Amino acid sequence: MLKIIIPTIMLFPVIWYSNSTMIWINMTSYSLMINLMTLPLLNQAGNNSNNFSLTFFSDSLSSPLLMLTVWLLPLMIMASQHHLMKESMTRKKLYLSMLISLQMFLIMTFSATELILFYILFEATLIPTLIIITRWGNQTERLNAGLYFLFYTLIGSLPLLVALIYVQISLGSLNYLVMNIWFQDMSSPWSSNLLWLACIMAFMVKMPLYGLHLWLPKAHVEAPIAGSMVLAAVLLKLGGYGMLRLTIILNPMTKIMAYPFIMLCLWGMIMTSSICLRQTDLKSLIAYSSVSHMALVIVAILMQTPWSFMGATALMIAHGLTSSMLFCLANSNYERIHSRTMLLARGLQAFLPLMATWWLLASLTNLALPPFINLIGELFVIMASFSWSSVTIAMTGLNMLITALYSLYMLTMTQRGKFTYHIHNIKPSYTRENTLMSMHMLPLIMLTFNPKIIMGLTY
Amino acid sequence: MKLPILTIVMTTIFTGTMLTMISSHWLLIWIGLEINMLSIIPILTKNQKPRSTEAATKYFLTQATASMLLMFTIVFNAMHSGQWTTTNIDPNNMIVSLTMIIALTMKLGMTPFHFWVPEVTQGVSLMTGMLLLTWQKLAPISIMMQMFTSINSIILLLIALMSVLVGGWGGLNQTQLRKILAYSSIAHMGWMMAILTFCPSLTMLNLLIYLMLTIIMFTMLNMNTNTTTLTLSNLWNKSPTITMMILISLLSLGGLPPLTGFLPKWVIIQELTKNNNIAMATVMAIMALLNLYFYMRLIYSTSLTLFPTPNNIKMKWQFQPKKRSLFLSPLIILSTLTLPLSPVFSTLN
Repeated sequence: MLKIIIPTIMLFPVIWYSNSTMIWINMTSYSLMINLMTLPLLNQAGNNSNNFSLTFFSDSLSSPLLMLTVWLLPLMIMASQHHLMKESMTRKKLYLSMLISLQMFLIMTFSATELILFYILFEATLIPTLIIITRWGNQTERLNAGLYFLFYTLIGSLPLLVALIYVQISLGSLNYLVMNIWFQDMSSPWSSNLLWLACIMAFMVKMPLYGLHLWLPKAHVEAPIAGSMVLAAVLLKLGGYGMLRLTIILNPMTKIMAYPFIMLCLWGMIMTSSICLRQTDLKSLIAYSSVSHMALVIVAILMQTPWSFMGATALMIAHGLTSSMLFCLANSNYERIHSRTMLLARGLQAFLPLMATWWLLASLTNLALPPFINLIGELFVIMASFSWSSVTIAMTGLNMLITALYSLYMLTMTQRGKFTYHIHNIKPSYTRENTLMSMHMLPLIMLTFNPKIIMGLTY
Repeated sequence: MKLPILTIVMTTIFTGTMLTMISSHWLLIWIGLEINMLSIIPILTKNQKPRSTEAATKYFLTQATASMLLMFTIVFNAMHSGQWTTTNIDPNNMIVSLTMIIALTMKLGMTPFHFWVPEVTQGVSLMTGMLLLTWQKLAPISIMMQMFTSINSIILLLIALMSVLVGGWGGLNQTQLRKILAYSSIAHMGWMMAILTFCPSLTMLNLLIYLMLTIIMFTMLNMNTNTTTLTLSNLWNKSPTITMMILISLLSLGGLPPLTGFLPKWVIIQELTKNNNIAMATVMAIMALLNLYFYMRLIYSTSLTLFPTPNNIKMKWQFQPKKRSLFLSPLIILSTLTLPLSPVFSTLN
């Protein structure tokens, strides 16, 4: 794993020693090379043998997420080029350093063996994200957004620290590989309920669960494009990844304790999808759609069947790519008209037809069109929840309908119809933007041919 | 103050604390505390303003009361157990244990005897405030570490919990930086004392990291003599590197991973959990977030936003810095980047 981590750390000197003409080229090319080195990780043998050292390991759950993280870094760098054009050199380098440090922490989080190390790095990802949102966001609401983001996550995760230490003392070790063999069932007194809650709430806030999701629209909307991309694509998946890792020690309480959360998720799915239909702010629409998709992932993880775990992992990867692509598209709009209101830039298909293709593809994957992996994820989750309880099909089916509704609403609002007269002088699409969209779309399309690499632990 | 006088006074302060730390006879410990208190009074009144006199008076009154309580406890203990060593205090003697804790926590500035800390720290200059919040803690903590086996842990845990609460809530309404750092000191003292009866080496660890961070904060504030949040918001114009260092130091003081300030909180939570004090650990951890909130407010006004400044140019002319900042760089690195070295700290004993 050091072969990925040390080059990522070495990107720091690359940033600070590049001169002003070479900085973007250097960054993008070296992070793409790190991508290439991470690709062999996807080749997982089934017997959990990828244990690199005492500290790092990778299995079929963490390797797709790791791949997503390293794939996203060059995309973030490409997406940030425009809005950083006017900044001074030091500020550009600082921004890129924040991105690199976030990347470093994320790679280590996804490959950590010891759960306390996972916790420390999970919290460590907060600091660069906070700095990116608060320092480089565009409106005054970004200050509030940063505070909400930081404090919601911290209040959820401090009980997790106490719970992890308690589990380490009672179980003997928090090394994940050891825990797989040594786990004991949690006893049933009421204090185990509190322990279960303490372990889960951190990830519920991160996912986010419907009642605790207030930080997400604020943070996603106020963040600059790289911040939005990494938040939507990777940081939310940290919650799912943590929950999937901790389900071993949380048995058999989950059967009883999961009910309120499943209820909140099913209801929250429909609620947040419906709110999407009434949004005027484009980024806010995509943010609420993230909440809705992640609610499906929470339902899947809490149900703990093999198919639901497969669906959860596939949905996480698919949603990461789709959501990040939608934010890039929204940002391409924002860079031209400096507003996120959907009403102001309509009928863009007449001006930017290639971008309209990307909008179409992104909206289609967002509404889980076959044969993309979004559908595979959602279908597995819906089938598993149907077998768990037949009533849930009403809500998940309704959610799929409303997801289709708002995705097509977003598409037709921005692309189709009569254009507004004031947008006749927007610049045509840059090659950089088209590359960005295609680099999001290509993994989505290619994973359709071999989805087993993203199916996770229980394939 | 003239240099020979300053030297004598500083040496006396040093002697007082050293005397307390090396003795095992209660009388000498008390003498050391008195020497320390008397010789810091001229330092507090160094800049000859009525506010400083008020601060010095408040400091003198509380510390003298605490010393008298300590003397009472010493004599009472000598009367009842017949000996004057620190390690043999009888924990079953309720008067002795209670008044000992009251005296020492009054010296340290913990709840419910914390009211003097913000006002005294506010009334003196920045460097004197640093002396107050760092050096003055050493003597009482060394006494408590010598006698930790005979302290009533319930009372101490209660005082520690209240200190964390008061330190968090009290600092929320402050804009004066010295008062913010005073409330931060109250909260950190709470963390230190919570673990004293279980594992005093962790108290030492927390004390060391807290001392480093406080020295850094005061030194950086002293560079431009920033005493309010408003003046601190002009810092980006004068020295942006100090802005970044304040960001990292405040995040470390608030206890965010992966900075070193997280380490004391982590090991203290671990020790408390091992001793079945899980509720206490959780409550203290969550209350520390209040501290983090007002540090975040400072960070927002300093580093993450660009406040309007009095001058019209982007960067002021950079003069040579006149204020001495000894050891600032190594201390910053030590207090923010050494979390991976945490196994090393287990050798601290």
